Amino acid sequence: MPAPGSASEVDLSVQLGRLSLRNPILAASGTFGYAREMERLVDFARLGGILPKTVTRAPRAGNTPWRTVETAAGMLNAIGLDNDGIDAFLEHHLPYLRELPTAIIVSIAGKSHDEFVEMTRQLDGRPGVAAIELNISCPNVSGGVDFGTDVAMCFRLVESTRQATSLPIIAKLTPNVTRITDIAQAAADAGADAISLINTVLGMAVDWRKRRPMLGNVMGGLSGPAIKPIALRCVHQVAQAVKTPLIGIGGIATIDDVMEFLVAGATAVQIGTANYYDPTVTMKLMDALPAALNQAGVTSVREIVGTLKLA
Amino acid sequence: MNPLHAKSYADQAVQRTVEIVENARLAKDTYRVRFKAPEIARRIVPGQFLMLRITDLNDPLIGRPLALYDTVVEADGRPEAVDVVYLVKGKLTSRLWQMQAGQRVDVWGPLGNGFCQEPGTRGQEPGARNSTTHHSPLTTHSYPPIPTEHLIMVAGGIGQTPFLALAQEALHRKRYGEPPRDMPRARRVTLCYGARTAEYLACVEDFQRLGVEIRLATDDGSLGHHGLVTDLLQQCLAEHHGRPHIVCCGPEPMMAAAAKIAHEARIPCQVSLETPMACGVGICFTCVAKIRQPDGSWDYKRTCVDGPVFDAELVEW
Repeated sequence: MPAPGSASEVDLSVQLGRLSLRNPILAASGTFGYAREMERLVDFARLGGILPKTVTRAPRAGNTPWRTVETAAGMLNAIGLDNDGIDAFLEHHLPYLRELPTAIIVSIAGKSHDEFVEMTRQLDGRPGVAAIELNISCPNVSGGVDFGTDVAMCFRLVESTRQATSLPIIAKLTPNVTRITDIAQAAADAGADAISLINTVLGMAVDWRKRRPMLGNVMGGLSGPAIKPIALRCVHQVAQAVKTPLIGIGGIATIDDVMEFLVAGATAVQIGTANYYDPTVTMKLMDALPAALNQAGVTSVREIVGTLKLA
Repeated sequence: MNPLHAKSYADQAVQRTVEIVENARLAKDTYRVRFKAPEIARRIVPGQFLMLRITDLNDPLIGRPLALYDTVVEADGRPEAVDVVYLVKGKLTSRLWQMQAGQRVDVWGPLGNGFCQEPGTRGQEPGARNSTTHHSPLTTHSYPPIPTEHLIMVAGGIGQTPFLALAQEALHRKRYGEPPRDMPRARRVTLCYGARTAEYLACVEDFQRLGVEIRLATDDGSLGHHGLVTDLLQQCLAEHHGRPHIVCCGPEPMMAAAAKIAHEARIPCQVSLETPMACGVGICFTCVAKIRQPDGSWDYKRTCVDGPVFDAELVEW
């Protein structure tokens, strides 16, 4: 028998709109490949969910190398949504993914409103797809970021995709805006089940000796521990403004990071860049989560979400 | 082109926090670090790599790919530790060379595809490749088996590091992999090795001890041939008339030049690409290289899971 207050008594399940997850630790899109890569390193059954690498309507070769550059406590990436398109995804990746013992949330990025809607329709009703995350925030492809920086476009997109499927819809927002609460409000008003924040912060690196940009794409998205305070601030601001459940993303690597995001108002978190430099990080977080919740004096994740004390 | 079908995945890899056993200076800015990692040591094969990161440090944040130099085998025959040789040139290696025995690093491996293997001799359980329909091997990467009469290893800069284990395997001095794989024996092994100056040349005595024929070049003429390592390769091909097989590792222009020589001489050539990586396991899509596809077009392939060793004929330089 477990001792009172032991980890086994903690309820880790979370609810993101219509999406139920067994726990709040997810692998972020673009940082977990198509999951097959991690099959022997990570026990998928212990994850709340996996977001495979973003798929686009048509295949994309991605950007010219260099595609990533390390920075202080972080990294810049400009991969450019290198993927083989949604048809190849449905044919080759989904049959593998749908057999995995965890929730699969498919991340999609359209070049246009109609492409997003079309891909949503293609995913609708597919066995093994738990939800769709709209990547309206990738800084490395032209057009892709517009939906996340324009209130009206964001509203229309979330509304249309909601109508195109019965699957839960998650909007993933960019921090590269003046007021993220405006965009989040639009996504919430349009019926998003959850809002993921944040995607990467637009940045740049220069090789002064060659007088050239380090990245093939010139600019790229900053991620890793360096952006955690920005992500935490965004989660806090949006949590104050909307009722929609939030998924915190940005530099999360330790159990303290996870707990900070939950307290600030995130119902779940996605682990991104940390997968690159610590491939088993999600397992370590799952090991540590029940004890951290115990330490916080709660017996469920739900109880700690948004419990930040202000003044 | 089938996106799910990388040539291999990190299916033998483990991630461990390990203690440094020894960190020895070999040449100018060049060190060999040894750490105890039995699971990696017994699985890794020549040409494979591992990722290394300084434990709990956020700057540098990202791991670095380092080729297997050699494994250290205990008296009872069990591989216990791994040696990697590195050049100090960036944020991580500038710290790594100062680390001492007992300090900790995170490593994960073995990763990537080593130098070509004959079918069925890879260190993995029989039939593992075809255990599901989701990941059959790519047919575009069928290498002619090494060795051969004459294995010529062409190294530039720090590119000699993957070749000691390969030479030992080819000369039947040592076996690698789990279960240990068998390679045909090479009659002759040559190392053509070029560096900036004599003081950067490292590990030469390890190759000498094996009986590898050694040809050296330096950019400044301070030792060996004053010029390019590819000159040595051409000399070597002119002098020997066996059926050679070339393996190559070093700066990209040098590998491109070696590949051209091999192509013109119709000699099989494998190159180990030194593409910058972030994860080493195939999840970040940083380390892509342009690889020719069966239909003649090229596609960006991940060096970590589709390489780092490629048939030189398939690389778009």
